[in-house]
This record gives sequence, structure tokens and C-alpha cells, in this order.
Amino acid sequence: MLPGEPVLTVFFYSALAAAMAALGALPFGLAKRLHSGWVGSAYALASGLMLGSGYLLITHGLKMAPLFALLGGGAGVAYTFWTQSYAGTDELDTSPDREMRPEEGYKAILQNTLHSASEGVAIGAAMAVDLRFGIFLTLALAFHNVGEGMALTELLGRQGMRPRESAGLCVFTKVSQPLLAIVTFAMTPALGRFEPVVLGFAAGALLHLVLTELVPASYERTSKTLVAFLMSTATAAVVFFEAILVHGGR
Amino acid sequence: MWESLGLVFLFGLVTALATGLGALPFRFLGAVSEKTVAWTNAAASGLMLGASFGLIYEGSAHGTAQTIVGGGVGVAFILVGERLLEGHEVSFGQIQAEGAKRVLLILAVMTLHSFSEGVAVGVAFGGGEKLATLITVAIAVHNVPEGLAITAVMYPKGTRLWACAGWSVFSSLPQPLMAVPAFLFVEAFRPLLPYGLGFAAGAMVLMVFLELLPEAYQNASKASVALWVSLTLGAMILFQLYL
Repeated sequence: MLPGEPVLTVFFYSALAAAMAALGALPFGLAKRLHSGWVGSAYALASGLMLGSGYLLITHGLKMAPLFALLGGGAGVAYTFWTQSYAGTDELDTSPDREMRPEEGYKAILQNTLHSASEGVAIGAAMAVDLRFGIFLTLALAFHNVGEGMALTELLGRQGMRPRESAGLCVFTKVSQPLLAIVTFAMTPALGRFEPVVLGFAAGALLHLVLTELVPASYERTSKTLVAFLMSTATAAVVFFEAILVHGGR
Repeated sequence: MWESLGLVFLFGLVTALATGLGALPFRFLGAVSEKTVAWTNAAASGLMLGASFGLIYEGSAHGTAQTIVGGGVGVAFILVGERLLEGHEVSFGQIQAEGAKRVLLILAVMTLHSFSEGVAVGVAFGGGEKLATLITVAIAVHNVPEGLAITAVMYPKGTRLWACAGWSVFSSLPQPLMAVPAFLFVEAFRPLLPYGLGFAAGAMVLMVFLELLPEAYQNASKASVALWVSLTLGAMILFQLYL
């Protein structure tokens, strides 16, 4: 934790999370050709980290005001569903070994940017509940960003973009994370007893993003047994370590 | 003593019978298309994820670490079960091959998870009859969507409705059976509870991501599958909170 202003803590950790997306390009820089099974596993691990984060967010909300948290959850699902169909990213086919047209590359970048915006809200809402909890959740999402950076590098690589160039783009799509984290962190306390709505919103949005973007993509790239195993392990790890690190094992 | 034992058993039995009610809505389902199968699979996924959510939430109150350890065993259980069934010609009633394997696994998971729920009923009786009535009603009511989940998987594959209802009740029979010893030996059973709840949650989550969701994504759009899962998951949490 950083001394001084809490908002600097929020900025520092969310910026770190965004920067970690660049690491996703690293495996492509090291290996000439990366088997798509690795990308599938990265998707599955990222899904689990996100699902675990959603679980923590909704349980925190439910403990404060169950109905508000669930209403927020519904709003988060509806918002994500709507933005995806409005932006047209719901029809983006990212299945492996398929030629991608240039406009699909732009759509993938748009998809990632919208996706990160919801994660920024999640970080801000968690930080507003409790800084320790927020930092934990941000670190979970930071590791998940590595997986998403890998996924984006794979997609852009099909259009001939080199890993070094896409590393920058990966971070660029995540810039909305610190921005919205800070805004949400600053505004949530003003909501008073409606705060759980924001927590629920973030959880609902994460759930819907996982189910539309990450989980299907991981099934397309590796065996469903491996997907199920990695996902459940990553989810359990988030829940487990939060209990140990944030609540001291309770 | 004997009287309250009978009561514990009776309460457990009521919760088991309630599971059969979950088959009812399918009475009004018309022809079953591929898309319907995808969506019922997605709905079953949401219901099971919601049930796991409740199990982990409840288990965490007794000890998060124990719950997660139990979850790991649950995950391993399904992986091993799947491996054992591989390469065997499985059939289940009119259902063949892949579908039969899935039905067998889901029934095994649902039946095993009822053991933990039975223990929950029994342990609750140790906390006084009023709490027990509350918990029994809660479990009975939340058994209904479990019957719904089982029927959602079996019915579209050609199982008759009454058979779905029967298997749903069967999957909950361990509840009265486990409630009695748990009530008798509350102190011995209480520490086991988080492991049992975690086990059930781990097995269910793995079942969803291994068997139900991949098929759902194959036959319907990602957005519609996700919407079904999110909605039923949310409904299940709402259900568990207020009933």
C-alpha cells in the first residue's frame, strides 16, 4: 500500500494492472509459433480469475444490501449485453486458424477496450469498499490482463502485427481500467447506501463478459476438460487467497 | 428423542419430494429443438452455478479454507468419474453414448451433493426446531430448481417427464438419510460441513464447464447462452436469499 492519498493507491495498482497486459505479448516474441492450446489455457485462467473476482464483488454487495446488489447485477448484465450488440462485438468470430479482416481487428480492439472499462468499474468499486480488498482484486485482474494480452496479440498477429507492436496496443486497450477505476472510486462513496448497486453492477458485467468472450474462446482452442479444470482452479484460488490475505484466514 | 428423530426424517423427506416439482414446468414445453436444448443446458448451468454460489457462501461461514479443499476433491471426483466412464458404452434408458454419460454424471453429482444438504438439515435441528423448520423450508424450496436442472438435461434427450421427476426425487433421497445421523451427532458432523458443501460446489462447477456449457455454445449464440446463465444464476441467488 502506498502512503498518502488513497486515490494514488488506486491509480498505482490499476495502472500496474493495465501495464501487465503487455506481458501477454511476451510468449509470442519468444516462440516463433505459439500453439493455440496455450492461448486457450490463458483464456481459461483469465476466465477463472474474472469469475472469482465477480464472486467476491457480489458477496461484498450482498452483505451490505442484497436487493441493491442483485439489482446492480441485473443492470451490469443488461449493460454488457446492450453494449456488445450495439458495438457489434457480439458477432466477432475469433476462432483460431481463421483469416481476419482488418475491420475485425479494429472490432477486437474495441471489444477489449469496452471489456476493460467494466473491469475499471470493478476495481474502483472494490477499492471503495476497502483498500486491501481492492488491491487484492486489482492484482487478480492484473494477472488476468496478461491472459487477455495474449489473446489480443494472437488475434492481431493473424493480420501480421508483430508482438512488439501489439504489446503497446494491449496496454492501450487497458487504459480505461485506471481511468474508470479512479472515477468509480471517487464517486462510489457519494452513493451512500446505494453503493452495493455498483458492486453488483461490476459483478454482473464481469459474469456476462466471461460467458460471452472468454469461455467460448477457450473452448475453441483447447480441450473442455482442461478449460473446466483451469477455470475452477483459478476461481477457487481467488476466493481462497482473498480469505487468507484480506481477512486473515477467516 | 424418537419423536424428534422421526421429525428430522420427515423434514428431510419433504425436501426430497420437493425436488420432483422441478419437472413440472417442462409439462408445458412444446417441441424440443436443438436451440431449446442449448438454452435448457444454459439454464441448468445457471441454476447449478447459483447453487454452488450458495454452497460456497454457506461453507465460507464455517471456514473458507475447508470449503476450498472440499471443492478440490469435488473437482477431482468429476475428472476421475469422467475418465472412468470414457471408452465404456454407456446407455441410460433411451439415452445413448455422450448424452447418457452426461446424465449419469449429473445424477451422481446431484445425489452426492444431497448428502451435504442432508447434513445441513440435521445440523440445523441441533440449533432448535424453529431454525430447523426454516432451513428445511429453504432447502425444500431450493430443491425445486435442482429438479428443474436435472429435468432440463434429461428431458430434451428423450426421458419421460415422470421419470425425470422420479430421478429428481431420487437425487435428493440422501437428504432424509443423512439428516438423521447428522442430527444425532451434531458435534461430530459440524466440522465436516464446510468440506461437504465445498465438495458439492466444486463438482457442480466442473460439471457445468465440462458438460453443459460446451454443448450450449455449439447450438445457440454466445450472447443468448450467456443471458440464460446470468439470469438463472441471478434468480437462484435471489431465491436462496429470500426463501
